[in-house]
Amino acid sequence: LTAMECRVLSIQSHVVRGYVGNKSASFPLQLLGFEVDSINSVQFSNHTGYSHWKGQVLTADELHVLYEGIKLNNVHHYDYVLTGYTRDTSFLEMVVDIVQELKRANPNLVYVCDPVLGDHGSMYVPQNLYPVYKNKVVPVADIITPNQFEAELLTGKNISTEKDAVEVMDLLHAMGPDTVVITSSDLPSRLGDRFLVSLGSQRHVRPDGSRTTQRVRLEVPKVDAVFVGTGDLFAAMLLAWTHHYPTDLKTACEKTFSVMHHVIQRTISYAHELAGPGRRPSPPQLELRMVQSKADIEDPAIVTEATVIS
Amino acid sequence: MECRVLSIQSHVVRGYVGNKSASFPLQLLGFEVDSINSVQFSNHTGYSHWKGQVLTADELHVLYEGIKLNNVHHYDYVLTGYTRDTSFLEMVVDIVQELKRANPNLVYVCDPVLGDHGSMVRLLIIRVPCCMCVHAVMDLLHAMGPDTVVITSSDLPSRLGDRFLVSLGSQRHVRPDGSRTTQRVRLEVPKVDAVFVGTGDLFAAMLLAWTHHYPTDLKTACEKTFSVMHHVIQRTISYAHELAGPGRRPSPPQLELRMVQSKADIEDPAIVTEATVIS
Repeated sequence: LTAMECRVLSIQSHVVRGYVGNKSASFPLQLLGFEVDSINSVQFSNHTGYSHWKGQVLTADELHVLYEGIKLNNVHHYDYVLTGYTRDTSFLEMVVDIVQELKRANPNLVYVCDPVLGDHGSMYVPQNLYPVYKNKVVPVADIITPNQFEAELLTGKNISTEKDAVEVMDLLHAMGPDTVVITSSDLPSRLGDRFLVSLGSQRHVRPDGSRTTQRVRLEVPKVDAVFVGTGDLFAAMLLAWTHHYPTDLKTACEKTFSVMHHVIQRTISYAHELAGPGRRPSPPQLELRMVQSKADIEDPAIVTEATVIS
Repeated sequence: MECRVLSIQSHVVRGYVGNKSASFPLQLLGFEVDSINSVQFSNHTGYSHWKGQVLTADELHVLYEGIKLNNVHHYDYVLTGYTRDTSFLEMVVDIVQELKRANPNLVYVCDPVLGDHGSMVRLLIIRVPCCMCVHAVMDLLHAMGPDTVVITSSDLPSRLGDRFLVSLGSQRHVRPDGSRTTQRVRLEVPKVDAVFVGTGDLFAAMLLAWTHHYPTDLKTACEKTFSVMHHVIQRTISYAHELAGPGRRPSPPQLELRMVQSKADIEDPAIVTEATVIS
């Protein structure tokens, strides 16, 4: 069996305990056979949803120094770059510089970017990150995973209907990325209010040079809990499944959303077990059951079917 | 299995040493791994170039404080390896002692990385002229604290010839009646004609895992551990030579452990080396 030779550079947070950022992305990608080089943008004791958190951040200069080390050894050859939550504009700008250089070294490099800006109507990163994402990051990204708020913010257009969502995704394509997945929206689901709607869009160039766009819609069960790290896992798994299904967004999304479902369900069950009857689980108790979900990550049973929309 | 390890080791962006070498295999085997990165370097220091940042003893303490403030400082194992800084190492000791107060059953797995092939830093070394005297060395180490000692490699002559090296293990137990017993094992391990980095870190992590599953059977724990090492190293050597091309010595980047590709062997290692129980 020939090993897959696929190397990802993931630039995300590290937490000592728990599963966010690189902790959330690395193990699943490694399980799926990817070589994961990871630059830790911060090292914190745990994610910031706990009562307390402590740690250190990496500066843009320190990021550059680490990249220089890789480059000096002439091993700066990657098939993918993966980034997520960032709080610092100079750090984000350094990431863009690195991505551009890596794309010069490998023009086929795919940059998977979760443009983390906010959710449910408000930004939870500093305001000055918005122009950097809009003007510098998204234009060099190949796959982005915004939520509805982020998609609206980046395009300046509201989503009230599926038609709006399609137009927003086309606007995002025009900014750069050929693959866009709106990870969650408050569009009404045909399965009722215990479901949310996710949408995906992927632009292809046919052999004859003409363009085509595949669009899909998924009804995703809502969960009554606040998870941290799920967006990071989602982006990592979308990387993996679009790698295996590069022209079949329907299947890539079904796999990705199914993995999320299995991990989340396992996590919820365990969290409620730990918390006890009638008690809301705490952030430590809600940490993703990543290690325990190995089999589901390796080979997710499909639990949600995507609908191809025109 | 609910088993949580605190691993305090290096992080490299690229390659497999320190936490990069220990975490994935332990996670594959079902352990929850909390990891404190003592450094973040681009790659290990055997490459032509390396760059990065180190964690100070104070910064280590701050991270530990974060864990403690959330009352999640409960570990079954602590794992440490290569450290260059005495104040950092002393902070590690403080942390281990506190964690042992929180959980008296905590097992601290320590690779006391000091040197190899005669180049030493501080501790006393006893030259061992024969196999019988190795018992004395291991008993001395037991007397210093650890109930389990594995001498990962030695230059004792192997009964299988000079393409093998000898590894030894010793584990002290207290019987139900209170009396003491020591199990000692010996393994003949194939030598490899390459310099690997990160293998010691992988070894310590896998010894943690297999002594966890075989807490009173050092023979089996060692067989599993040394077998995993064999599979990973063989896969790595093959691939490295493929990359380097015929007649060329592989480079450090080419010799990075084939960790991800060795998943099946890590999860369920076929036993390739049998340990001999020695008196």
